[in-house]
Amino acid sequence: MALADPVLDSPKEAAADPDAFVRAAMHWHFSPGTGSPFWLARRSELGFDPLTDIRGHADLARFPNLASELREAPVGELIPRGYGERPDVVGVYESGGTTGAPKRIALLQDWLDQLLAWSSGQLDAHGVPQDVNWLVVAPSGPHMVGDVIKRQTAYRGGLAFTVDLDPRWVKQLISGGRAAEADAYAEHIVDQAAYALRSQEIGVLMCTPPVLERISRRDELAELVNRKVRAINWVGTQMDADTRHLYRTEVFPDAVLYSGYGSTLILGNASERPGLTDDDPCVYDPFSPYMSFGVVDPESGEPVEYGERGQVVMHHVSRSLLLPANLERDTGLRVEPLPGQVGDSVADIAPVATFEDQNVIEGVY
Amino acid sequence: MAEEPIQLDALGASGAYRSRRRQTVEDVAGSPVAELTLVPGLFVGRTMKALHRARTLPAPERIAALARAGSLFAEGVFDGLGPAGYRRTVSRVSGVPVSVVAEAAAAISEAAGTAGETAYAAKPAAAVSDWRSPETTKGSAVWTRRGDVFAVHAAGNHPGPHSLWLEALALGYRVAVRPSRREPFTPHRLVLALREAGFGPDHVALLPTDHGTADAILRDADLGLAYGGDDVVAKYAGSGVLPQGPGRSKILVTADTDWRAHLDTIVASVAHQGGVACINATSVLVEGDPAPLAEALAERLATLPTLPPEDEGAVLSAQPVDSARALEKHLLSRAAGTTAWLGGDGVVEELPGGGAVLRPAVHQVAEAGAEQHRVELPFPCVWVGPWSPSDGVGPLRDSLVLTVMTEQDALVDELVAEPSISNVYRGDHPTYWIRPGVPHDGYLGEFLMRTKTVIRD
Repeated sequence: MALADPVLDSPKEAAADPDAFVRAAMHWHFSPGTGSPFWLARRSELGFDPLTDIRGHADLARFPNLASELREAPVGELIPRGYGERPDVVGVYESGGTTGAPKRIALLQDWLDQLLAWSSGQLDAHGVPQDVNWLVVAPSGPHMVGDVIKRQTAYRGGLAFTVDLDPRWVKQLISGGRAAEADAYAEHIVDQAAYALRSQEIGVLMCTPPVLERISRRDELAELVNRKVRAINWVGTQMDADTRHLYRTEVFPDAVLYSGYGSTLILGNASERPGLTDDDPCVYDPFSPYMSFGVVDPESGEPVEYGERGQVVMHHVSRSLLLPANLERDTGLRVEPLPGQVGDSVADIAPVATFEDQNVIEGVY
Repeated sequence: MAEEPIQLDALGASGAYRSRRRQTVEDVAGSPVAELTLVPGLFVGRTMKALHRARTLPAPERIAALARAGSLFAEGVFDGLGPAGYRRTVSRVSGVPVSVVAEAAAAISEAAGTAGETAYAAKPAAAVSDWRSPETTKGSAVWTRRGDVFAVHAAGNHPGPHSLWLEALALGYRVAVRPSRREPFTPHRLVLALREAGFGPDHVALLPTDHGTADAILRDADLGLAYGGDDVVAKYAGSGVLPQGPGRSKILVTADTDWRAHLDTIVASVAHQGGVACINATSVLVEGDPAPLAEALAERLATLPTLPPEDEGAVLSAQPVDSARALEKHLLSRAAGTTAWLGGDGVVEELPGGGAVLRPAVHQVAEAGAEQHRVELPFPCVWVGPWSPSDGVGPLRDSLVLTVMTEQDALVDELVAEPSISNVYRGDHPTYWIRPGVPHDGYLGEFLMRTKTVIRD
């Protein structure tokens, strides 16, 4: 790989000087010999010179949000030329695709290796056992999560059993008012999970809160989870504090229950901060300085105060990809970062706020 | 108010449950009165499962427990509230006049005492209620439940409807109630009274939820009951959920009858109980010129006093100012093209202590088929219009109660035969007339029960 630079490849060195890391990344992504065709083509339109004007992490906010261009951009043009003719590509993945055409990125092996080493450490901190099998009820391609968790399971010495699901179809069913079909699909997912739970040794269960609730509603499956599963990793949607408390105290009292939050466009995910109580919101600390969060007022774009809710901004900076200033659809609470971490931590992730209709409804009820 | 808000816990299968997520219940002036627990879906599922697992009390035990609960509901102290405190609190949060709350509370207590008889009023004449009856040795219909667990999405307009689901308990159902977030006090008090009287926590439960979780209660029940408008009726039509839709109760006076002799009954039908009930008259149709009747109604309704709901003399209902203003705006837009006899400039009168009373409105419409006859609002709001025999039954359809003042048996025949009219009162009977043992919108037992044949040696 051209332009070997320790600060780009060593998480320790990057964390020690995150601003030097950002400058090295700018050099890599905007040098004609190493940068991606996507960024090289846009360098002149930025209105600043990334090589001289981006001096550190704080300057990433100067980048325009180009995420929507990933709907159309040839994904090969996102791969830095510095990886050579045969980059080690794990896969091409897409964002959720709930609002229009999906956005695409490529996941490269060297970044995945760094991510897995870091996220595995997070699992250890939660007390998630190594050398156990996982039941991963999560989408496979074009979504990234299924593939990454499969590789994470192998990294930690287990086998991954998978149940595929298509979140885009579920969203279509729900938005189309086809509740009965959505319900049947969800039961179909749980039916498949049941076969694996019955016949295999499963140490960790990964699924969404709605699937977990359906599993808990079937006495046989709840009993199997209590007998076999030592950690439950919920992802994908929200789970309120009352529900978490019920799982921990009544439903699955012996399993470690923890959540994850990630995004395809940040090329990764974070597990919730270990040691939180049921009364705390779920806080997520990203893999700094590669992944970083900001929480901003959607109107002004300015950061909100700590503890306040705002829209989540994500930056990804690694050798494999530069994608700064991506405004997510999620909102979250801005939380003070861990020592040495760049940007913010976020908590209590929720979809963009919706309000109950205040219109007058006729009638006496 | 410096008082600590009352904590209204959910009442689940293992007792009271207080969530982290709670909703403030405010009175009509916007002062906080209570914090209502909102349970998550997981809690709903576990509670409903416990209800399914439970064993129903034998009939004599549950009938006796219901009667005890009726007395406890009337006289006991629950949530720190004795009878007077309960009535005052309900009137403050729902805006229903305190005398109406008192009447409704007495009706609930009485309904609990008589549920053992009223619930069985729906039993077909040829059926017995126990397979052990001697009749089954020769073969007989036995009246049995269509399920075991019954769920109720309750309304908050008036405490009265809570007397209905007591019949399900009498018939042996286990019951889960989702209270209205506007007035959760009545079902909370009632469920606590039922539990103290002998129903187990897995026999009757109270599950307050947000809007998004509400359907889970109906989903997990065998049968359900839901109050609402046309949307609720359409959503649950033909399902295992019995919708309780709009009332659109009406009065018809034909030419052979002088309305002047019945003005008291007509006024009361519109304004009784603050006009908040589905059995209040929404429309008055008269054969001939409706103007004199509209004028007389307006004159009488205009004299009703504006008082805060907790005042013993209050007869009109109150609302928070914002929702009262929204209702007023809606009324004025729906009334376009009609002749206003009362309330044409607005109906909201703000109370010095906060909140606003909705004063009566009388509008005259031009035709029997006027669209305004479908506009039912939760205060004394009446549409007066013409009717002639050539209009027929059409404009009288979709009525919970139809009071008809007429000399014509043939017309009464037609009205009684009309399926979309639930109750027909002939003569000088107000639309709100109801007694234990007569059906309100059919007997609940018609929905909850079925017959099956049993023959035995």
